[in-house]
Amino acid sequence: MTVDHAKPKGRLRWWVVLQGKNVLSGLLFIGVALCGLWISQDYPVGTMSRMGTGYMPRLLLWILLGLGGLILASGLWQADQPAVTDASPGAAWRPVVFVTLSLVVFGLSLERLGLVLSILLLTGIGAAAGRGMRLLETAIAALVLVALCWLIFIVGLSLTIPVWPGF
Amino acid sequence: MELLHNLATGFGVAMTPLNLLFALVGALVGTLIGVLPGIGPIATIAMLLPLTFHLEPTSGIIMLAGIFYGAQYGGSTSAILVNLPGETSSVVTCIDGHQMARQGRAGTALAVAALGSFFAGCMSTALIAAFAPPLALVGQSFGAPEYFSLMVFGLIAAVVLAHGSVIKAVAMIVLGLLIGLVGTDGQTGGVRFTFGITQLSDGIDVAILAIGLFGISEIITNLSEAEEERSILAQKITRLWPTREDFRRAWPAALRGTTLGSLLGVLPGGGAMLSSFAAYALEKKVSKTPSEFGRGAVEGVAGPESANNAGAQTSFIPMLTLGLPSNAVMALMIGALTIHGIQPGPQVMTERPTMFWGLVVSMWIGNLMLLVINLPLIGVWVQLLKVPYRFLYLAILLFCGVGVYTVNNSPAAVLLAALFGVAGYVFMKLDCEPAPLILGFVLGPLMEDNLRRALRISGGDPTIFIERRISLALLIATLLLLLILILPFIRKKRQEAYQSEG
Repeated sequence: MTVDHAKPKGRLRWWVVLQGKNVLSGLLFIGVALCGLWISQDYPVGTMSRMGTGYMPRLLLWILLGLGGLILASGLWQADQPAVTDASPGAAWRPVVFVTLSLVVFGLSLERLGLVLSILLLTGIGAAAGRGMRLLETAIAALVLVALCWLIFIVGLSLTIPVWPGF
Repeated sequence: MELLHNLATGFGVAMTPLNLLFALVGALVGTLIGVLPGIGPIATIAMLLPLTFHLEPTSGIIMLAGIFYGAQYGGSTSAILVNLPGETSSVVTCIDGHQMARQGRAGTALAVAALGSFFAGCMSTALIAAFAPPLALVGQSFGAPEYFSLMVFGLIAAVVLAHGSVIKAVAMIVLGLLIGLVGTDGQTGGVRFTFGITQLSDGIDVAILAIGLFGISEIITNLSEAEEERSILAQKITRLWPTREDFRRAWPAALRGTTLGSLLGVLPGGGAMLSSFAAYALEKKVSKTPSEFGRGAVEGVAGPESANNAGAQTSFIPMLTLGLPSNAVMALMIGALTIHGIQPGPQVMTERPTMFWGLVVSMWIGNLMLLVINLPLIGVWVQLLKVPYRFLYLAILLFCGVGVYTVNNSPAAVLLAALFGVAGYVFMKLDCEPAPLILGFVLGPLMEDNLRRALRISGGDPTIFIERRISLALLIATLLLLLILILPFIRKKRQEAYQSEG
């Protein structure tokens, strides 16, 4: 995280302002609130004494919209706020992509391929998220984790998770 | 007399072999994750939450509580030996604890931390036993309007004591409240924000949200930062028992830390982390030789380590008596109880006295176990620190995955948790604290329910909230808090409190 004190001019300056943490989080909250308001437009609001399904959500969404606006305004006001910048921008995407992917694959495969194969998939994909993981190490780690999970969840807690692929 | 009778009931419950076992498991797991940096009590408790469904509610909550206070013991070990806080509540312990270790007094530092924690654990357990029943009595007189105002106050107060931007934290609370409303509306039967996904119609489980926001996003954050070099002090820990001089200096600090921690733990937003920071600042202020701080002052270990344990335990008081979570861990505890159909609140003490008093007594027993686990077995825990993070995160990732799946044997939950993981990473990048979101999430449906009931009582007249005296007082207190936050002087002080010096 580095604080960007230099104030570039023209279009570049706007780009820097847009990367400010408050600006981005303000936009995020506004975006969520607008989406929510759009989705909930048909929810029955009801009256104060008989609140409908949509009363509380829409009330909260308007509050969120207001707060998001305030945060955005504060971000635009203080242009020298800390910006979201990484030392090496490429590095951050690796864990985001591979950690998420490993869980998605794990979730999708657990009931079809069973616990053992799913763990191997999760560790295989998950290992790509980190740096400096060697192939042999990963393989050993995966086997240890398979054994550990089998002992804890199947033997110890007797959870109903399929261990092998079901045919 | 009644207290003695209650404690006897508690001993009866906590001393059964099964509950002793679960207290031990909780203490062991707590120490383990406390020692290991990169995984905290919130993620761990969220992962184990689904498993407690298969247990007796009392055994489950005894184990989860053990993890929370056990982590406070474990956190100090890595802080002292490796200069790496195992938990956020041990950040300040690094400062003087690690210096003591460098001077060859590692054993003393560890012993002071463990004994201080034990002392604080015993004292705060006694406080829970003494103050929870009267507070529950107050809670019993509350109606829907009072409860609604209490929740508003609790949520805002939680923000005041948390660090970071106030307005962002409030926005996170509102977002949490909204996520809490996902699913079927209990009163009208209307379905909200499910995007046509059937799994969402029952709402989102707190474990899924917490594993995503705290477990998975933590992995992503840690991996995107460079791995720190860990230099474990290779020296043999020779002398464990502190000298008479150390004792003389440490015990008043432990007493001050316990008092401060107990007070801060009860407040919304308080708990272990704030307590330890505040205690370190206090020790530095009252010390006759403040220059010693940062160079291995024993008070700098005794104070914060007592405070974080006291704060961890007294934060159970508002949760058990009013159903108000003061921090993210307590929000999960509420989740653990609601799995079993228990709504935390003043009725818990009268309807389930065995659970309440069993938990209180188990805390004392658990602290005793932790003293044994930590002091003689310290070598075992130190060995664990040699496991590199590139192995550790794979295990954490896997346990997150399995934990989420077991919530209700649903693969969709794993995908949802992964989504929350990415969201949590984005929030962290944008300096938006995820803890207020969890508090809002847990209170969302409750707030709607109480708002609805209050307005039904008054026939749609919102002035009911200012006509009821207790409700009015709570709302005024909330407004005052918000006003105070806007004042620049307090804002500055608040930032200072969280600056780790050293």
